[in-house]
Amino acid sequence: MEKCKTSEARVIDYVYGELDQSESSAFEQHLATCSKCTRKVYSYSHVLHLVDDAESEFLPVALAPRNLEAKLYKRLADAPPEKNSILSRLSNYFSNLLLVLHEQKVASICIFSIAAIAVAFFVGNPFRPTTLDINRINSADARIEQYRHNDIQRNLEDVLRKKHLRHSDSWDTVSQLNRVKDQAQGTDWANIAKNQLKRVHSEF
Amino acid sequence: MDKMIDDEMLVAQFKSGSQKAFDELMKRYERRIFGYLLRSVRNYEDAEELTLEVFFKAYRALGTWEPKAKFSTWLYTIASNLSIDFHRAKSRQPVYMLEDEDVIEKRLIATDISSNPEKNLEDKERGRIIREAVDELSAKQKSVFMLARYEGMQIKEVAETLGMAEGTVKIHLHRAIKKLQTLLRPLWENNEI
Ligand SMILES: [Zn+2]
Repeated sequence: MEKCKTSEARVIDYVYGELDQSESSAFEQHLATCSKCTRKVYSYSHVLHLVDDAESEFLPVALAPRNLEAKLYKRLADAPPEKNSILSRLSNYFSNLLLVLHEQKVASICIFSIAAIAVAFFVGNPFRPTTLDINRINSADARIEQYRHNDIQRNLEDVLRKKHLRHSDSWDTVSQLNRVKDQAQGTDWANIAKNQLKRVHSEF
Repeated sequence: MDKMIDDEMLVAQFKSGSQKAFDELMKRYERRIFGYLLRSVRNYEDAEELTLEVFFKAYRALGTWEPKAKFSTWLYTIASNLSIDFHRAKSRQPVYMLEDEDVIEKRLIATDISSNPEKNLEDKERGRIIREAVDELSAKQKSVFMLARYEGMQIKEVAETLGMAEGTVKIHLHRAIKKLQTLLRPLWENNEI
């Protein structure tokens, strides 16, 4: 029997489908006469079949990760800013303004805040505390800020809903409100959370 | 979704301030990147986290990105680097987590495109053993194998993605199949032929 001089690499290329048409048909002609190469082709092909089956069993259809878009914008919001944007300057301005108001202990801000949360909570009005028209600013910052505000609002509503339905005790409510307050730093929501905290303290 | 708008156009739109362009790019590739990473780390939560990281990095770098390759190739490059870092960090052993398969299965059932429900335990066990063999490949062998076999890439594109010469890609592909053959031989010597 003639000793076969076909390289292992050629067999593997054939199995992977990496040979061009003429190389491939020449090799197939060789296969008709060479049992050694035929066995190798069978063996490698079988390996690939096994792996393909196992992999398609693992992931039979393409799945999408959950809430990628929302998570991305939240992540971008949490990440340190790359540049000093208009929005971060604006939000600094607002938080400074709030600090001043807070130090003066203006009683009206309490009323305003309670009214605001009542509107946001009971009417579901997408109230935006920074008074920026997000739609007009089609920038990354606006989108990030919007997601951040939505997130804070959702969390705050969640706390109040649970409190309202008596699904959490005062200790829970206080710790949740504190968490929202931290999350909301630099926005009006922080103040709203603070006022809610005061109310919880006086209620219990 | 307008398929006629190609990725490069969307990248240009993003650079001129369109958020929607990035959302569209993300929609186009989130499944592929997630699937690639899921096969790489075999863990649902980690794959989600890494997918987020890929798009986070892409978002931040896209503004100054100069296209030398396709946008999708660039995404896969980011994903490959992250998965290599991930395995390096977890180098003790990339533990195969059975729970994650359950998570995937639940999601598949939830999306009502479940695979063969009557699949028996023996088949599942066999699949798991085979995937463990795939996970035994070196990081480079596995990346090359996965990109070529399941992400539909030509050798040239795999080379671009991983920053390797085409010859090196071929070497890794060859080693991968030989190693798999060695590892899986007991399986078919016992059960088949
Ligand atoms: Zn031969």
